[in-house]
Amino acid sequence: MRFSGLCAVLLALSVAAAGAPVGAQGSGPIRLGASLSLTGTYAKLGKNQHEGYKLCEKDLNAKGGLLGRKVEFVVYDDQSTPATAVRLYEKLITEDKVDGIMGPYSSPVTEASANVTEKYKKVMVSPLAATTSIFKKEPRRKYIFMVISPAEGYMEGLVDMGAKRGLKTVAVVNEDTLFSKAAAAGAVESAKKKGLQVVFQEAYPKGNTDFSALLTKLKSVNPDILAAATYFDDAVALTRQMKELNVNPKMYGVTVGGDLPEFYDTLKQNAEYIYGATQWEHTLPYPGNQEFFETYKRDFGHEPSYHSAAGYAGCLIYAEAVKRAGSLDADKVREQLLKLEMKTIFGDYKVDPDGFQLAHKMVMFQWQGERKVTVWPDELAQVKPRFPTPPWTQR
Amino acid sequence: MNVVITPEMVGQVVISGILSGALYAMVALGLALIFGVMRVINVAHGPLLMLGAYVTYFLFSGLGLNPYLTVPVSMAVMFVVGVILQRTLVFRVVNAPELSSLLLTFGISIALVNLAQLAFTSDLRAIEYLTRSFVVGPFAISGSRFIAFLFAIAVTALAFLFLQRTKLGKAIRATSQSAEVAMVCGIDVSRVHMITFGLGAALAAGGGALIAVVIAIQPEMGQVWTFKSFLVIVLGGAGNYPGALLGGLLLGLVEQLASLFLTTQLSEVVAYLLLVVVLLLRPSGLLSGRQT
Repeated sequence: MRFSGLCAVLLALSVAAAGAPVGAQGSGPIRLGASLSLTGTYAKLGKNQHEGYKLCEKDLNAKGGLLGRKVEFVVYDDQSTPATAVRLYEKLITEDKVDGIMGPYSSPVTEASANVTEKYKKVMVSPLAATTSIFKKEPRRKYIFMVISPAEGYMEGLVDMGAKRGLKTVAVVNEDTLFSKAAAAGAVESAKKKGLQVVFQEAYPKGNTDFSALLTKLKSVNPDILAAATYFDDAVALTRQMKELNVNPKMYGVTVGGDLPEFYDTLKQNAEYIYGATQWEHTLPYPGNQEFFETYKRDFGHEPSYHSAAGYAGCLIYAEAVKRAGSLDADKVREQLLKLEMKTIFGDYKVDPDGFQLAHKMVMFQWQGERKVTVWPDELAQVKPRFPTPPWTQR
Repeated sequence: MNVVITPEMVGQVVISGILSGALYAMVALGLALIFGVMRVINVAHGPLLMLGAYVTYFLFSGLGLNPYLTVPVSMAVMFVVGVILQRTLVFRVVNAPELSSLLLTFGISIALVNLAQLAFTSDLRAIEYLTRSFVVGPFAISGSRFIAFLFAIAVTALAFLFLQRTKLGKAIRATSQSAEVAMVCGIDVSRVHMITFGLGAALAAGGGALIAVVIAIQPEMGQVWTFKSFLVIVLGGAGNYPGALLGGLLLGLVEQLASLFLTTQLSEVVAYLLLVVVLLLRPSGLLSGRQT
């Protein structure tokens, strides 16, 4: 309800702006258009990204705007559906004639929307798309830029830490969906690179709640490391059943879900020693991160998630490129985005010629004493990992 | 991969299969009852199970009750909900074509899930109780799953006793065999319908309450149970109550063994292939299995 009201206002504003005889360039505010998942399945995450954009808008304007003009976001709700987002980006570009575009939430929505922005040759910094294929599709897309680390990198840290401690074997399990498959493939790849042997690999269907047979097999090969490419529900179910069947690898890590406070609330002490991957934590020593965290909490009344931070940083990356280009012209901004190397509150930004992220680092945390603490990479680690994981009865 | 399947591993998954199979049987029995008596395929069966799980969760987290003590409470609450649903909505489609009842219960299902999302949010909730397992020889047996198994067996046995021995149970069976003759014999058929729907909902809720201790719950957890229950009653012969028990155990075992010998991903495929095979060989399993 609230969002549809907001959209109506935004719609009215944009119609008024389109009707005004302003020769879009040169005067009035710079309008940045985005479609976000404000309702539907991704609502919670899309809302955080939206707040990241809003905070970026506020901070830019506090520093005198962009190219001497105020910055203003035009945001519509795509209800978490790619088809709606396509329509909205089309509208933003052709009807609202916005000056710049920012990306939507999630890989599927970005994948669909990128076709529109490419068609109209509009630069789109996409802060929340982690699927490699979006950026490496043939023919290559020219105007899309990645901010977060790709899915394949989620388990690199777990394997790396294990290899450094002399572990030899890895088991990889994953939910059979786009992101998790990519994360599992990445884990297998890193294991090979570090000379570890993958002794077990199996996918399970989305919504699976009984892992007895899978874990029975896994137990029989007794891997040193278990890398599980999960979402939240399955991460919880898998962990509970590992305890029941006494499956106890020396290291056990999950991809998504393990970073949520609910993960610990649900599993309590059974979450201890579990590793997880995350794109961002407010405790990371990135420039401005602490201030971002405080301001965000004050402005929106809750803590930011990595979606908030990526949205905020993505918007600032785009602004920096515009500043350097001295223009809103898509090709000039694109040139700058390709050259740009930037340290943001979200971590480093640097892309390859396809706009694919190279510099941003995933970090691994471990649940230790009811808190998640960063344990990898070494230069960002707060503490050493508690290794190896003790038997379930001693947690 | 280099997984060698040993007899111990087979034993382990057979245990898991029987444990979950009993739960399938109990939940499916509720669906079988409703179908047998009213010829209504209750698509809202899973969402009723979900509500039962939430009753247990809130009694546990709010009042600190032992989750197993809440099972009868949850069943009683959902019995009442079931009766109300039958009284207000479901009775309208009892003698209507099957499509009407499918549409109605599908609508109820969507409404219940969305109401639950509004009321409870989509957050995952879990009851941390009895997360340990005990070891028998080479086998690990999950405590919570084992107790769920015992409960499921007990509840299913009670339901059978009720159907076989009590007057009301006999009235339910009579109505399921022929509503008209039952009515002629002086059975209040609409009351039987009401009670049956309540019982069906209570059996689902009991399953939900037990599941809440085993896995984490969320509003969309139910739908998969609708499918599984449906699979079970078709395997066992729809409307055939002992068939639900057989079908439940069969499904539990097939799922687990398929996961072991093939992959977890294929276990669902195998379960539904089994359904196809059963339907090909014994098509009478569906819709006409009226013997009790």
